[in-house]
Amino acid sequence: MSPGRETGNKMDFFVTPGVLLSDERLKKTEEFLARMGLKYEGGADHTVQLLSEYGEILGNGCLCGNVLKYIAVDERLQGEGAAVTLVSELVSEAYRRGITRLFLFTKAENEMLFRGVGFYTIASTQDVCFMENSRGGIDRWLASMEKQKGVVGACVMNCNPFTKGHRYLIETAAKLVDHLEVFVVSEDRSAFPFADRIEMVRRGTADIPNVLVRPSGDYMISHATFPTYFMKDRADADSVNAALDLTVFAQKIAPALNITKRFVGTEPYCSVTRNYNEIMKKLLPAYGIEVVEIERLGGISASRVREALADRDTKTVDELVPESSLPFILKRGQDA
Amino acid sequence: MEIKKTGVAGTMESSDIIVRIEPKETEGVELALESAVMQQYGKQIEKVIRETLDELGVTRAYVNAVDKGALDCTVAARTLAAAYRAAESTDYVWNGGKEK
Repeated sequence: MSPGRETGNKMDFFVTPGVLLSDERLKKTEEFLARMGLKYEGGADHTVQLLSEYGEILGNGCLCGNVLKYIAVDERLQGEGAAVTLVSELVSEAYRRGITRLFLFTKAENEMLFRGVGFYTIASTQDVCFMENSRGGIDRWLASMEKQKGVVGACVMNCNPFTKGHRYLIETAAKLVDHLEVFVVSEDRSAFPFADRIEMVRRGTADIPNVLVRPSGDYMISHATFPTYFMKDRADADSVNAALDLTVFAQKIAPALNITKRFVGTEPYCSVTRNYNEIMKKLLPAYGIEVVEIERLGGISASRVREALADRDTKTVDELVPESSLPFILKRGQDA
Repeated sequence: MEIKKTGVAGTMESSDIIVRIEPKETEGVELALESAVMQQYGKQIEKVIRETLDELGVTRAYVNAVDKGALDCTVAARTLAAAYRAAESTDYVWNGGKEK
């Protein structure tokens, strides 16, 4: 977005809320965003555009769940007015839909512009600034959790579903610390719903006294902390996302919860996770957080469980997951 | 007045203010204000918001406000509307601004 420090001749524009991004319009929007250095990757629930009198796109912004995305304004619309109008329209629409906790990420140079419309910085890296529409929102969330004493470790897991491998990682990590915070990814975008995943983790680790199972909330590996559309080149985008997510963890979450160790399993399969873990090893030690990589229990992965489920191979499923996970897996089998 | 859910009123248009009021478990009103005229009128806007909430008996709330140069009467009206919405109340008495 143009930060609009200069003043110049303003072009007339028309605010057009509720644009349907289909066919021709989608193509034009993609072209506009590409010109502004953004990549459209779908997910828009509501789109607001600024159009010239000839219908040319001069500005765009989308509401995707609780995240404002794809915000860009043509350089010719100098001044802050246009950007504020866009964001204002998106925020109003979100409120109309009953979505009141909003997030966005933007280039660091636009931080002040969004501050002016009521967004506050959660954390920032060199490239990206992650913001929310409540001052101190993350601090309130952090204050709601009790800070543990002694050596505190953390791991963030999706557990889709909870396997013997997850159990092994938690058990091993718990022995190395006084308290282990296990954050289960709250985002409901996995085969198993969040409510089932966290319950599987709770039941599967109930016998380990120093384990605390919590939802990861909005600030860890969420729709909001993991923007992938931001950079032109996808490989780079993943790195930017990982760095942002880990920066929030290092700058905000770890100090508030006294966390000095972060545990991960070795990742032989998924390149995104492997890349995330590599960036973790580079980034967290600078904040005094040790990254402990635990060797994965041979051949066990949640994706193998899902494959076995798809093949109705119950024998393999039984081998890979603890008994406490089975009711949830069977339940899903019946739903499917 | 008890704040039960998030209530919003207003817009980010010029000369308006958008006020969002959210429930808070502990005593006190925590206010975050952004204003285009923060230097000149920030304190006055905050005073109007706080007084309006005081009159309603709102003692526990998070308030987020983004001001785009609203007059005091607008600030009070938007705060009132947001508070009534947040309290899920329709008891407002329309008697020419002297509500009670």
